[in-house]
Amino acid sequence: MFDHDDPPEPTGAIDDDRLRLIFTCCHPALAMETRIALTLRMVGGLSMPEIARAFLVQETAMGQRITRAKSKIKAARIPYRVPAAEDLPGRVSGVLAVLFLIFNEGYLATGPDTDPVRHDLTAEAIRLTRLIRALLPDDGETAGLLALMLLTEARRTARVSPGGELVTLAEQDRGAWDPALIAEGHRLVRERLAARVAPGRYQILAAINAVHTSARDVRDTDWSQVVALYDQLVRIDPSPIVTLNRAVAVAELDGPDVALATVDRLAARLADYHAFHATRADLLRRLGRSQESRAAYDKAIELAGNTAETAYLTRRRDQLG
Amino acid sequence: MQYLISVIDDRTNSGTEEEMAAIDVFNEKLQKEGYWVFAGGLAAPSSATVIDNRNDAAVFTDGPFVESKEHIAGLWIWEAPDLDVALKLATEGSKACNRKLEVRPFH
Repeated sequence: MFDHDDPPEPTGAIDDDRLRLIFTCCHPALAMETRIALTLRMVGGLSMPEIARAFLVQETAMGQRITRAKSKIKAARIPYRVPAAEDLPGRVSGVLAVLFLIFNEGYLATGPDTDPVRHDLTAEAIRLTRLIRALLPDDGETAGLLALMLLTEARRTARVSPGGELVTLAEQDRGAWDPALIAEGHRLVRERLAARVAPGRYQILAAINAVHTSARDVRDTDWSQVVALYDQLVRIDPSPIVTLNRAVAVAELDGPDVALATVDRLAARLADYHAFHATRADLLRRLGRSQESRAAYDKAIELAGNTAETAYLTRRRDQLG
Repeated sequence: MQYLISVIDDRTNSGTEEEMAAIDVFNEKLQKEGYWVFAGGLAAPSSATVIDNRNDAAVFTDGPFVESKEHIAGLWIWEAPDLDVALKLATEGSKACNRKLEVRPFH
């Protein structure tokens, strides 16, 4: 694969080329951006333009980055193998970060000529995460990430209408959710709760998704539980994006006016993030502030890269009086 | 596979006795486990001379080829099967000599 002289070493029970490949692509001697790009290219099979678009960089620059990385792997002899057992815990979090990004690119694919949901990418991310879990069955974050992916994937078909428009969680046909994936995801979340170890980011996100997938409809959702879980997440990741997502739940619990006050405080830091404007637009719409809502939808449409999302936002905007 | 390990320092003659002792222990391990090829400490960068004879007119310049805050204070050459092994040793070595290390493969 990287022109090594010696054949890959056997890795025991899990002898999977892709697993070896992913540990190579996610090697700590490579820069984080390089790891993601390389994994998307070598493991996920994305094209160079797709990766360049995902990173908002020039295609030539992305090509050079990947070429340099392959040269380094070969020249410095970054091994093509799964790390030894004692080194695995230190290496796995970097791999999970990359897998999560691949899943997200599949779940909310970017680009005007791309399918809104790239099932090939989400399926590959799940498959690889299962491999990591088989390798490290007691690792909480690996279980958490797998549960998060399964509970998200379960809603895939309900999430985009036949007309190619995004369907929000509130409007989704819950009967179309995949019960087997939800059952498996819930099992993993329960397993982590029973472990009684402080959960990391993926486990908390999985628990939030477990609350959503346990509810019959949006009114039946335990929003106070969702907000409590986001509070937990804010403590380990106080980023503006987590705060934004928390505000969406707060809108259901305390009303759109309370949520909007929080969202508006994020304006400076999330000005270029489409979901910030989409969230604001929705909250303003619910508060009857149509003109401001329209302006926020315009901004969100301008920034959104996903075709289904653009279609949804456009319809919402055009429904405003 | 051979790797050049450059010892990066921002002071000269900065080695303490404790560091020297820790480096000795680390070097013994390198030799015993078969990674050792070569090691040496370098005099201050100000003692370097750059020679340029590309045009058959040798020019000698006083000082190192690049002036920088950090410089190479010493080096190792290790024989290691792959980068994982080299990085593991370098992690130990950086602690032992209390300096940053750069690991770079030979062709």
